[in-house]
This record gives sequence, C-alpha cells and structure tokens, in this order.
Amino acid sequence: MLESLLEGFQHGDRLALSRLLTYASQGKALPEILSHLKSPPKSSQVIAFTGSAGVGKSSLIGKLIELLRRDNRRVAVLACDPQSPLSGGALLGDRFRMPTQVEDDVFIRSLAATPGHGAVAEHLPPMIRLLESFGFDTIFIETVGAGQSDTAVASLADVVAVILQPEAGDDLQWEKAGLLEVADIVVINKGDLPKADHVESQVRTILGLSEGRHVPIVRTSAKSGEGIDGLWAAIQAMPRKNRGGGDGRELLLYTQELLAEWFMKAQAKNRPDVLQLIKNWQEFTNQRDVIVRKLIQLVEKDISAAGGLDRSD
Amino acid sequence: MSQTAPALRVVLAKVGLDGHDRGIKVVARGLRDAGMHVIYAGLWQTPEAVVRTVADEDAQWLGLSLLSGAHLTLVPRILDLLRKAGLENVQVMVGGIIPEPDIPRLLEIGVARVFGPGTPLSEIVEFLRERGGAVHA
Repeated sequence: MLESLLEGFQHGDRLALSRLLTYASQGKALPEILSHLKSPPKSSQVIAFTGSAGVGKSSLIGKLIELLRRDNRRVAVLACDPQSPLSGGALLGDRFRMPTQVEDDVFIRSLAATPGHGAVAEHLPPMIRLLESFGFDTIFIETVGAGQSDTAVASLADVVAVILQPEAGDDLQWEKAGLLEVADIVVINKGDLPKADHVESQVRTILGLSEGRHVPIVRTSAKSGEGIDGLWAAIQAMPRKNRGGGDGRELLLYTQELLAEWFMKAQAKNRPDVLQLIKNWQEFTNQRDVIVRKLIQLVEKDISAAGGLDRSD
Repeated sequence: MSQTAPALRVVLAKVGLDGHDRGIKVVARGLRDAGMHVIYAGLWQTPEAVVRTVADEDAQWLGLSLLSGAHLTLVPRILDLLRKAGLENVQVMVGGIIPEPDIPRLLEIGVARVFGPGTPLSEIVEFLRERGGAVHA
C-alpha cells in the first residue's frame, strides 16, 4: 500500500500526498517515504507565522494566499493548533480563515500539536519535504498560539514572522528574551486599531537596540488587506537560510534521530532485517554518520536476544 | 509516537446559504473532548470546497450541518463528489433540521446517520467510536 502511495505521489496524485502527510505526521514509514522523494528542481521557501492566539496568523496567511495566487504560485500551509493534554482531542480551526476556493495549487493541512514541541506539530520536517517534493513553491507553517519561549519553529523555516497586535501588553513584554529574538520580520497586525502606532514605535525602539540585526517591522490589517503587499515584499527580501533543503542534511539527521529513538524504545532485538536496513542506510549516508554507526553497534549487540522491533511505537 | 491509535480526523462543515453555526460548534467541542481531531471548515462552503477539505485533511469522517432545507440537494451532491474524488471510504453524518420523512432517503444514498436537534453528544461520540475510521483502500 505504501508502494502504491509513493507511486501515486510521483505522478502528482494529491490524495497520495495527503495520505503520505498523515503517515509522516504519525512518524510512520519515514525512512521509506523520505528515501523515495525526489529533490524538487527548486527548493521551496518555508515561511513561519508565529505569535499569540488571536493575533491574526491564519487570517494573514489567508490574505497572502490570495496575493500569491495572483502570481500563480503554488502554496501549501501546515497549520498547527493545540492538542488537548487531557483528552488528546483537538479543534483545528485555522483553515476556516483561509480562502475556500478550490484550487489545485493551494493545499492546506491542519495539524494537532502535542504539548512540548515548541508550538508546532511533531514531524514537520518530513511533511515540509513532502510538500516541497510535490512542487509547492511557498510553504507556510502556522504555529499554535505561541508563548514567549516557543522558538522551535525558527530552525524549520527560511523566514520567521512574529505577529503582534495592539493592546497586548506594555513595552517590557518586547524586552523579554524568546520569540522576538528569532523574528526575521515583526508584523503588527490589526494595524487599524487605535493603539497600533504606539506598539509599532515601542517595538521599533526595542528592536533598534539589538546590534547588527535589522528586523523589518511591517504594519498590516488582515481585515482590510492593508499592508499585505508590504508584508510579502519584506518576506521576499529575506535572504534564504540554509535549511539544508538542498542537500537534505538536516533532514537526514532528523530521521536518524527518530530511528535512534525507536531503537532506544524498542531495543531492536533479534532483527537481522533491521540491521540490514541500517547498513543500507549507512551506505546511503556515505558511511560517515555517527548516529548510524551507533545504531549498528546497538543492534549487533542485541541481535541474539529475543523479541522484535515494535514499529507502532 | 504514542502507544494509542491515532485520533479520528473529522471534518465539520456547513454547506450552502445557512448561517447558523451554534450547533456544529457544540458538536465540534464535544468531539474534541472525546479525543478526536476536528477540522472546522466553517460556514457557507460549497460542496466542492468541502470535498477538497476532506481530501487534503485526510479525514475519515465528514459531518455536515444543514438547517436550510437544502439537504436533499446538497448532501447527494457531496456524496457524489466524494465518490468521484476517490473518497468513498469517508463516512458522512448529517445534523441539523432534517424532516423525519427525508431521513430514509439520506441513509439510502450513503449517509451513515442523521442526528437531529437534542441528540446527546455522547450518542454521536459513541457512534463514531463504534464505526471508527474506515481502512483506507
């Protein structure tokens, strides 16, 4: 079944993409999926939108999608909302604020983010890779309403836009370490509200104090559409970060960490086939990878013991 | 990487010209509290948009709320589009104001169940749990 999905994916089957994203989101079959993905001709631009709940992240992305579609860009969104630590349930309500026109070049997936992953869902790197390989040239990541220290998204994206709004606290809030430090762009949304000028000047002053880092500040109103062009111009002016999208190094490390996690948990006992899999993996990574080497040692040591690898773990 | 089975993914949507979303929001909340992942697609959706949402979200269930009286037009259209999109495994439930005589017709064309006003949330939750998510072809 995975084979036919991968096959469908290569031929541009959208349902196959959707299903593979589910696999990836559950951490299932990642080595198989990732090893089948072809590099896209051009790597996507990954743009993260983060900020507190209710500041307008979804609405701004919605407006940008409209703008980008006028340029015929292919846009995908990974929109995260929180998963309940109590019930495991989630109400995913981001796409509600995005355009509902049916277009083949717009893909939105809602994801539940478990606590403890820095305001984003687990396994975003392979999902980004799937969307990139499918040919989306712009990928938005929307975090859950992020707290002050939810900075994990910075390592996933080319550009991090931190969204603020008027009336959200005094200027000491902007002095604190965390989210604002990883911002490449600061967006003051709800710019039509009376106190927007005030917040903008506060943030401008405070960001101006950091040496050597120029962070553009953009004023927008997702409601009226004002400033959306300016926001997109600011995003486009950002230099591309080395996400590792080109050579896949970051992703490789990520999958190896996952593998290591599986083995730690499952102890991978008595599975020569798994050993072979890792050896193939090592070949694939040109034999110079520490994590893979350690895994092989681990499995070889355990190979005589009873039990198996629990892949559902 | 939890030990438990992945949560059911349920798309909830209102189609056509019907602006009453209190009921569907209550259901969304109830399913959330029952551990499901609810994708709320919102008001004024076209059948095409709903089906696209189900496809892109890889949902196992679609819940439609209709209070406009257009259920015998819109629901068959959606079921048809689901089939055409290769999503015949997606199960559909309908809620809202559906006159009793219309229910057999909806069930006949493939709706799993119709829930009327006053249905306890626990009944919907139990039904979804029992049916579960269809195994993808």
